[in-house]
Amino acid sequence: MNTLHFLAIGMAHVFTFQNLLMMTIGLLIGMAVSIMPGLGLVMGVVLALPFTYSMPLEPSIILLTAIYMSGTYAGCFTTILYRIPGEPMDVPLLWDGWGMTKRGESAKALGWALVAALFGGLVSSAVMTTLAVPLSQVALRFGAPEYFAAVFFGLTTVVALAGNSLPNALISLFIGLLVATVGIDSTYGADRFTFGSTILMNGIPYVMVLVGMYGFGEILSKLGQGLQVSERPDSGAKVKTSFPSLREMWALRATFVRSTVLGTVLGAVPGSGATITSFVSYAIEKQYGKRGDRIGTGIPEGIVAPQIASTASVAGHLVPLLTLGIPGSGATAVILAAFLLHGVQPGPFLFEDPNSTITVYTIMASMFVAVIGMCLMGFLWIRVVIKVLTIPQGILAAIVIMFSLVGAYADRNSLSDMWIIVVFGAIAYVFERFKLPVSPMVLGAILGPIAEDSFMRSMITFHGDATVFFQHPISGTLMGLSILSLIYPLARKLIASRVRRRNGLAAV
Amino acid sequence: MFRRLALSLAILVAPVLLLALSCGLARADDAYPNRPITIIVPWGAGGGADQVARTLSKLVEPVVKVSMPVINVPGATGQTGLVKLWSGNAEGYEMGVMTADTFVLLSGPNARFGMDALIPLAIMTQQPSGLFVKMDSPWKSWDDVIAASKQKPLRVAVTGFNSPDDLSVRYLRSKGVQVESVPFPEPGLRYASVIGGQSDLVYEQAGDVRSFLDGKQIRPVIFFADAPAPGYADIPTSKSLGYSLKLTQFRALVIKAGTDPKRVKILADTLAAAAQQDDYKKYLAMQICDPASFVGTDTARAYLENWMKEAVAVAAATADTTPKN
Repeated sequence: MNTLHFLAIGMAHVFTFQNLLMMTIGLLIGMAVSIMPGLGLVMGVVLALPFTYSMPLEPSIILLTAIYMSGTYAGCFTTILYRIPGEPMDVPLLWDGWGMTKRGESAKALGWALVAALFGGLVSSAVMTTLAVPLSQVALRFGAPEYFAAVFFGLTTVVALAGNSLPNALISLFIGLLVATVGIDSTYGADRFTFGSTILMNGIPYVMVLVGMYGFGEILSKLGQGLQVSERPDSGAKVKTSFPSLREMWALRATFVRSTVLGTVLGAVPGSGATITSFVSYAIEKQYGKRGDRIGTGIPEGIVAPQIASTASVAGHLVPLLTLGIPGSGATAVILAAFLLHGVQPGPFLFEDPNSTITVYTIMASMFVAVIGMCLMGFLWIRVVIKVLTIPQGILAAIVIMFSLVGAYADRNSLSDMWIIVVFGAIAYVFERFKLPVSPMVLGAILGPIAEDSFMRSMITFHGDATVFFQHPISGTLMGLSILSLIYPLARKLIASRVRRRNGLAAV
Repeated sequence: MFRRLALSLAILVAPVLLLALSCGLARADDAYPNRPITIIVPWGAGGGADQVARTLSKLVEPVVKVSMPVINVPGATGQTGLVKLWSGNAEGYEMGVMTADTFVLLSGPNARFGMDALIPLAIMTQQPSGLFVKMDSPWKSWDDVIAASKQKPLRVAVTGFNSPDDLSVRYLRSKGVQVESVPFPEPGLRYASVIGGQSDLVYEQAGDVRSFLDGKQIRPVIFFADAPAPGYADIPTSKSLGYSLKLTQFRALVIKAGTDPKRVKILADTLAAAAQQDDYKKYLAMQICDPASFVGTDTARAYLENWMKEAVAVAAATADTTPKN
């Protein structure tokens, strides 16, 4: 009951003028940065940090939290409508979101994303507020082998992305993994595929691969078609958020529960971030969803699962920061810096002082308000965003390219990142010519570095014993699931052909 | 229609650009500094180096009367950001933060440039490092740790191989303490690994894990310093145990060599004044830094050379243990 009591006081604090104003500004900034390809929500939080120096603590943290929260949601607009993911975590959303848009169901897709963000955000905030400490204790047991297994499981989504040809998808995936190895390796500091170039020394950031291949590549193929073909099946006037009915939502109840649990728990694991939760949730849905075999073709499950998980991960990361002082993601590391610059160290002892207890609960209460505010804004804002669809293709292409390049530069203040985008845009164009799917390569480039890092750490910790992945209960389960989802399509084909043969024999 | 629009835009914008350019030229001869001074942080936002830069920027901005934006250019253990500083121009409008981790690499065989390419403006913080265990760990003292290491090698979470952290771990191994490094470049993961039990010990500076110390989640078992850290009088130091190992973590501000000495002096004096401010002293106390951390530009180079001598000696002592790759 104590929690509820403090939460109520915190809620009252949220509804003061300055705190509400900061939240609104934060939600708007979060939306802006997550829509710009290349400019991520972490960048949004970093850019806002200097403005908090002169503010009191509470509005500062509320501002940054609001950016973080809406940053996990707003990217769905560009992803679903234009096939340009604003953030890495939006990539799984794209696979089904774009599929729905192609069928003229973009309004429905946006509606699903909004419901998913609302549900995931509210439920995970509630769960984390009440169960923060025990949940974090469980999450802390997540070691390098578990980590690797989770990412490996995420990589098996390649099966869902295969389309017509699994070999083509695997080729694309391995090229992505190869791209991920470029640069100085983070464990032993060995140069890999750098060819003595300073630019390649730091590796190829996956954000650039993502923006280059989806954003820039898309524009290139449009240019290739002379910008004449309007492949947009939806006319601008028709698009509006159309909410799924209660019955439709009830049909997806299992997806909602699965993804929320996953987003919250995996979110509480330090270092996992919204990107991994989003990919793993998608993979789980593919493996366990009632319509898992149709994932990737444009069904709402493929939108709901990753969106819930990425929004749910915000509370999963933020609450351990407040209660244990552990920053689990890039954005929470910056929020921690904001605390420290105000001379406050977040951690368990915040609860020893009644004043700082109220501060913590105010921030927690602000998460609930931010989720609702974000969805409200999304609902209203969508009408404005849709207007962009009526802009002539040529001008839109120029705008997208400009934002991609500006975002790329802002990420690391590096001009070479802009070139990386151009190069990967060209690669995506070539891929399309050769009918190689682009998505598996992006998947490999995003998850490759995390997979390698956790694999190497497991090997160092357990002295090169590769069976460790199968010995621990969590990692063993995940590895088993991964292998199952890899051989399932093969086995199905084999069984099908055998059945056909037997039927054939019977006919003779 | 678009061509006409573009033309009219160009006509509108061109005079503004010209005006801005001429103003810039006219002001170039004015007193230094007359435009923003960027602080390059070669680490991610939120880390220790980032905090030093942001604290200083807040304190120094009102004095120099130009803004001091902080930009993060992480990568390659801080080398990427310093390469950016080094490849920029030497006009005095870019400073960089250099930490001990990067300094070790600058003197290594694969360094892009040496320390003579940079001028140290000041050493701003000095923090003793130490090894920390989980609060409920069965090891009550350093002797317990040594005894436990004899049963089974203990895993120490460090930033990366060949860092000062790793050097220290290798030094201890050469002294018969069975410890091995497990790299965790992400600070959050490093702290979490010891609290969650993935690693047995974590190598850190007390100030960087202050919240975990105050929150009674971890506790120190040894400090690598001559004197105990404030508030930890009962924890043994490397000196009291007879190890010649300190490798104090420092954070320095550097500028490109070749910058006009007058401008170097202005910046160095400004930093020296900032170090005297109460807000800065408060920051040092919160970070559990040596209260006498500040080293001015005149003696900073000598400080760095001494530090390097110690690192070379430590590395020599570890040479007989298995080298890491």
